[in-house]
Amino acid sequence: MALRDQLRVMVVDDMSTSRGLITNALDSFGIRNVASAGDGPSALQKLATTPVHLVISDYNMPGMDGLQLLHALRTNGPTRGIGFLLITGRADREIIDMGKRLGMNNFLKKPFDPNGLRAAIEAIVGKL
Amino acid sequence: MSDPMAEIRASFFIECEELLESLQDGLQLMDDGDTDPETINIVFRAVHSIKGGAGAFGLDDLVHFAHRFETAMDEVRAGRFQPDGEAIRLFFTCADVLGDLVRAARDDDAVSSEVTDPVLEKLEKLVGVEEESEEELDFTPATLSLDLSLDFGGDAGLPNLPDLSDLPMAGADESPLDLSSSEEATEPLVASKGFTVFFKPEPALYISGNEPLYLFRALRDLGDLAVTCHAASLPLLDSIDPDIGHLSWTLTVHTEESEQTVREVFEFVDGLCQLDITPLAAAPVAPSPASVAVVPALPPLPPLVQPEPVAARPAPDPASTATPNDAPVTAAPKPEAPQEEASPAPVKSSATTTSEGTTPTKTTGTPTQPRATVRVDLERIDRLVNLVGELVINQAMLSQSVTEAGLPPNSPVSTGLEEFLQLTRDIQESVMMIRAQPIKSLFQRMGRIVRESSASVGKEVRLHTDGENTEVDKTVIERLADPLTHMIRNAVDHGLESPEKRLAVDKSREGHVTLTAQHRSGRIVIEVSDDGAGINRERVKAKAIEKGLIPAEAQLSDGDIDNLLFLPGFSTAQEISNLSGRGVGMDVVKSSIQALGGRIAITSQEGKGTTFSISLPLTLAVLDGMVVRVADETLVVPLNAILETLTLTDDDVKALGPETHVVQIRGGFVPLLDLGAELGYRPPQESYVGGIALLIGQEDGNRAALAVDAIEDQRQVVIKGLEGSYGRVPGIAAATILGDGQIALILDPTDLVSQASGRTRPRKPQHALVG
Repeated sequence: MALRDQLRVMVVDDMSTSRGLITNALDSFGIRNVASAGDGPSALQKLATTPVHLVISDYNMPGMDGLQLLHALRTNGPTRGIGFLLITGRADREIIDMGKRLGMNNFLKKPFDPNGLRAAIEAIVGKL
Repeated sequence: MSDPMAEIRASFFIECEELLESLQDGLQLMDDGDTDPETINIVFRAVHSIKGGAGAFGLDDLVHFAHRFETAMDEVRAGRFQPDGEAIRLFFTCADVLGDLVRAARDDDAVSSEVTDPVLEKLEKLVGVEEESEEELDFTPATLSLDLSLDFGGDAGLPNLPDLSDLPMAGADESPLDLSSSEEATEPLVASKGFTVFFKPEPALYISGNEPLYLFRALRDLGDLAVTCHAASLPLLDSIDPDIGHLSWTLTVHTEESEQTVREVFEFVDGLCQLDITPLAAAPVAPSPASVAVVPALPPLPPLVQPEPVAARPAPDPASTATPNDAPVTAAPKPEAPQEEASPAPVKSSATTTSEGTTPTKTTGTPTQPRATVRVDLERIDRLVNLVGELVINQAMLSQSVTEAGLPPNSPVSTGLEEFLQLTRDIQESVMMIRAQPIKSLFQRMGRIVRESSASVGKEVRLHTDGENTEVDKTVIERLADPLTHMIRNAVDHGLESPEKRLAVDKSREGHVTLTAQHRSGRIVIEVSDDGAGINRERVKAKAIEKGLIPAEAQLSDGDIDNLLFLPGFSTAQEISNLSGRGVGMDVVKSSIQALGGRIAITSQEGKGTTFSISLPLTLAVLDGMVVRVADETLVVPLNAILETLTLTDDDVKALGPETHVVQIRGGFVPLLDLGAELGYRPPQESYVGGIALLIGQEDGNRAALAVDAIEDQRQVVIKGLEGSYGRVPGIAAATILGDGQIALILDPTDLVSQASGRTRPRKPQHALVG
């Protein structure tokens, strides 16, 4: 069984367009176990019942941004080990450095194509 | 199967409309003087999100423009640029152009660079941002420790999948995490692994030449470090012994390293200090009774949280002290509040020694939580509306059968039916609510009309809106756009005076146009008013006489003159400019409003301004109608068209000819139209005395009486369109199904009367009606 069949992913983005795009790309890689959430708090809530291996989250979201979500994941025992891929429109040093400190696994700058997403995921979990 | 990308693309454009709306909202708030960072953030995020999505679809023009706009907003967000009124007006223009670009991209169209470039040029001149070069960011992806590359085989599942079921969530729907609130500020940001170190040097440590700073630096090399200084035992300056030191620290280090490694940092001061190292999960809260804010010697540490003064956290108060485990998900509905509440100590005397510097964890003011919504295809809603219509008809039929069966009104069937009737009404209203939308989107479009038309005529105009959350049927909103645009343009072009003229009459330079919406007795009332010069009635009257619309000797009331503006042919495009009143195509506006079942009225006060008020039914799906009988046919007349009902007496009805009658009402004469004859059901009657007539009023003051045989009922009817099957039938608006299953036509009285007056006008000039 290939990794892509096993991998469970959650996509977090306040824009449904972006969620759709990412989910669609994941689907094209053969990753079918995909949950999604429109904001950080509901992502955390869903993770309590639907564990995943990898969270792909947007940075700029209202209320709780991607790094705050990452922080919440890393400070909760059960979610501590979840992989985290940050998607950001502005790859500022500040954001990346902060992500690094919080334990971000990888980041991807917008706009990206499916290949870029694939590469960013594979850098975390290995060949899909 | 449909193309998923096409669907996502379509939803992107829908989402863009929502983002454009919040962009407008945010700008409006800024224009009103709101400087809340979250407001600016909303504006920034809207542009940012549009850019992000556009990038994914390769919409380069849109990305290009949005990027510049975003960069400018980022300057505002970062506080490097303080926008004034002029800047905000430019942002509004940017938002308009952004909207154009979105719609152009959606329709595979393009916006000329002649439109976009000057705006961008102005933007860059104003905000003065330089295109930042993308810096190279070194980042080594961290491979996930889960060993997922293995073939787990069979359905054994993922052995390493963490059990998340007991994830402690403090009500994720209650509030977002706020990293900048006071409690967290002293808490570790990364609690993945690490230690809390309590470090209290003995005097011997200093005497032997050790420097705590170097120890802290060494500790920082192991991972993220937060330092709290405990200075409670620091004596006053005159009694201080510099050799003793007095200070102690709590250091929280986040590291993957072992306790041994952490201990090694303090190897050389072993025995010269009190040292307690505890793993982070079990770390006790700061052990000190109190601490001070000043830690001068500390080097800059990595920016973890926004440096803001943090209230003291007295250890003896367990209620206000969070343990590291539940700290990150502190519910903070009012971010400002906890800071105050968490400081029962009179002296705010502590600070976390996190270093200076801005961080991406921003202070979330009052985050706007989006309401949970679901997108539904309009067709499905319309189907539901239709079905509910059927239900209403069915209910009416049932009621009729029950009545005919002669059951007593207090029988269980009758009372049950009463409840059924109430439920049907409730369901109907709820379904109509689904179709209803706040009128806000329409009002926002008017903001642009005001900005553009005022710029083109060199006037300064401010648009005020009120009641923009008033909900109106979606179709009504769509069909109101044109008439409202027309009215707003008129108000700016012709209603308001030039700045110079305004100043000359002691008015503010800036003209005001107000757009309001409200529910009033089952209808929507929309008003467009200006504080301009009002209607110049003399000129309007002169114009009407010149046009032959009224005879020169006509005696008209002010209201009558105002209503002349609605007459077709009152003014044409060439004459707008030399007419200081209004009247440009107002007949078109009026007929569009009437097509929606609405009415339009005008009030004007010389020197003070003019108000147009539009009244519309809440929905286009049902209407309140009067059920009448004519020549054995049942017809429905919309209630809103009927001014009053009359019983025709010998004295009232005058014959002007064999087929022409008028009714005398309170001294005036109104043409009497035989509904049966008008619709071709029967030849005109010899006499109408003893019959019943409905007085039909039109907004222009043109009135007529419709003779009918009997009035049967007054009820809500479901509108069934006929145009799809029969095309437009003169005088008929639609059809409906009555309680007894009979199909009845719904009249369009306005149309019917104007058809008829077209025939009768030569014999009865219109001035007789208003005079």
